[in-house]
Amino acid sequence: MEKTLLLEAKLRDDKGTKSAAKLRDQGRIPVVVYGHKKEPISISLNLHDVTEGLHHGHRVVDIELDKKKQTVMFKAVQYDHLGKNIIHADLIRVDAAETIHVNVPIELKGIAIGTHNSGIIEEHTDKLQIECKVTDIPETIVVLVADIDVGDNLHAGDVELPAGIKLLSDPNMLLVTCQLVAAAKTTEQLEEEVPTAPEVIGEAKPEEGEEAGEAKE
Amino acid sequence: MAMMPKRVKHRKSQRGKMKGNASRTNFVAFGEYGLQSLETSWVTARNIEAGRVAATHFLHREGKVYIRIFPHKPVSSKPLETRMGKGKGEPAFWVARVKPGTVLFEIGGVEENVAKQALVRVAHKMPIRCRFVKRRHSL
Repeated sequence: MEKTLLLEAKLRDDKGTKSAAKLRDQGRIPVVVYGHKKEPISISLNLHDVTEGLHHGHRVVDIELDKKKQTVMFKAVQYDHLGKNIIHADLIRVDAAETIHVNVPIELKGIAIGTHNSGIIEEHTDKLQIECKVTDIPETIVVLVADIDVGDNLHAGDVELPAGIKLLSDPNMLLVTCQLVAAAKTTEQLEEEVPTAPEVIGEAKPEEGEEAGEAKE
Repeated sequence: MAMMPKRVKHRKSQRGKMKGNASRTNFVAFGEYGLQSLETSWVTARNIEAGRVAATHFLHREGKVYIRIFPHKPVSSKPLETRMGKGKGEPAFWVARVKPGTVLFEIGGVEENVAKQALVRVAHKMPIRCRFVKRRHSL
């Protein structure tokens, strides 16, 4: 197991939008810690440390609060409207020996046979829910797509999971498909499909031979 | 006109205001790469169609282009050399309301550099500043 990241936490007394905005100005983010049937606590963490930690695949981290260490796991992360910066995070208390349910992103590996036959790989789901020990959470689950031809599908049940990991997602859940690329429609074709003016709900349609302008008069 | 609703409840609409940032449609959901708006604006059906054509021409039947916005809003205008009054003008074109953060287009099934080049071409057709974004794996 790789080394656990240690994040320095500060207890948050003020709550609400304004104090959260002030925190973010100081380069910290508001975080809530809950779980293990204990009272939830509001803390703040350094934004840079959290971003770097998540970027390097750390899901389970240690936080140091009042010189006490506790192991927690990132449960949810909220981003700003551009998806650039983390604005809030949820941490859940975990024990090293505990078995947990966690969502892990999938990583497609290989070049599918179908892509050589004018097909494209479509990723329908980007994560799988698994059950594993806290110490065994993989950074990604590798899905091999090299054998997929045009028209083939890959389901969650087809993925080979590492030892000690149990799949919780529906085994029939569609992960990856390989389909032929349909020819893009030209502007003229699209114009033929789309009506010149939309139908107005509840407005009487003009009868045949009668123009819309006449109907108004 | 390329894109417009098939059925509407009202033929004309008021201009409205666009405040705030996008709280939905603000992440790459279908493809692997996307074009994200950085400004607030109306994007016309013509803009969207020009972007679609630019992307599909560049991709040469490789990959898939997803359009994440739709022009739901009719914009009316008065004919030239008409005196003021006599009621609201007739619908002239359709627009999509775009806020900062909205993902406008997505591309899947191609390499990152190809997607980036295609989306740069799309961005040139848009009336707003845009940025290239990748799909982010959620926790």
